Amino acid sequence: MKNMVIQVRTGTMMNMDTNVTVKLAQAALDKGYGVRIFGYGEAVTLIKNGQDPKRFPNVGKETKEMLAKGLEIVVCETCCKARGIHRGEEIEGTKIGSLTNDLSRFVAEGERMVTIAR
Amino acid sequence: MAKSLLILVTKPPYGFEEAFAGLRAGLGMLASGQVPVSNALLVGEGTLNAVAAQKPEAIKMPSNIEAVTDIMDFEAKVYVVREDLQHLVGDVPLIEGVELIDWEKARQVIAEHDMVTTF
Repeated sequence: MKNMVIQVRTGTMMNMDTNVTVKLAQAALDKGYGVRIFGYGEAVTLIKNGQDPKRFPNVGKETKEMLAKGLEIVVCETCCKARGIHRGEEIEGTKIGSLTNDLSRFVAEGERMVTIAR
Repeated sequence: MAKSLLILVTKPPYGFEEAFAGLRAGLGMLASGQVPVSNALLVGEGTLNAVAAQKPEAIKMPSNIEAVTDIMDFEAKVYVVREDLQHLVGDVPLIEGVELIDWEKARQVIAEHDMVTTF
């Protein structure tokens, strides 16, 4: 299986970047690709459990649904700590990890990388 | 399977987290041992990350000079597009070890890497 890596750096609710991220991931999964998302900087909010936006799409919920379809999602631990997000606050099945252990593996095993940021 | 990653830095130092984060991402690839080649290409306002006269202590921020030299310590190449730098600040002293290139060479550098990610 070919793997696509999405590196995203925008937080949920800042703009539509994370909405685009989950839609792109969904489309790639539907076409049979492996999809790995690495959240860096503000994008660590993507895996925060308990997201409850009013009137806007819930990317946390959409992410959770895609985990069952094989999506792998890891966010940067240093970025989490800087923002006061700690292990245990993440959506079950997602991971607070690192550039060195996780993004490097995604790159080494990936065919394409898409960067979503501004 | 990607064996090389290019960190394309478009953001200036200090106003944004991006340049520091990107250079640290490149360093993380090399430190992991899983990605053999990880280089950086500084374009547009990103070229300002190569200027030697940065004084991050004035604003109590982490040093982008260190971020550039740290990745070069791991044998990464840091390319700087000459035209973009000169358009912004003219001829100024740069961090030792960075490589000034023109856009023709920059396009070649981009094409030589398996993956490119932008900061």
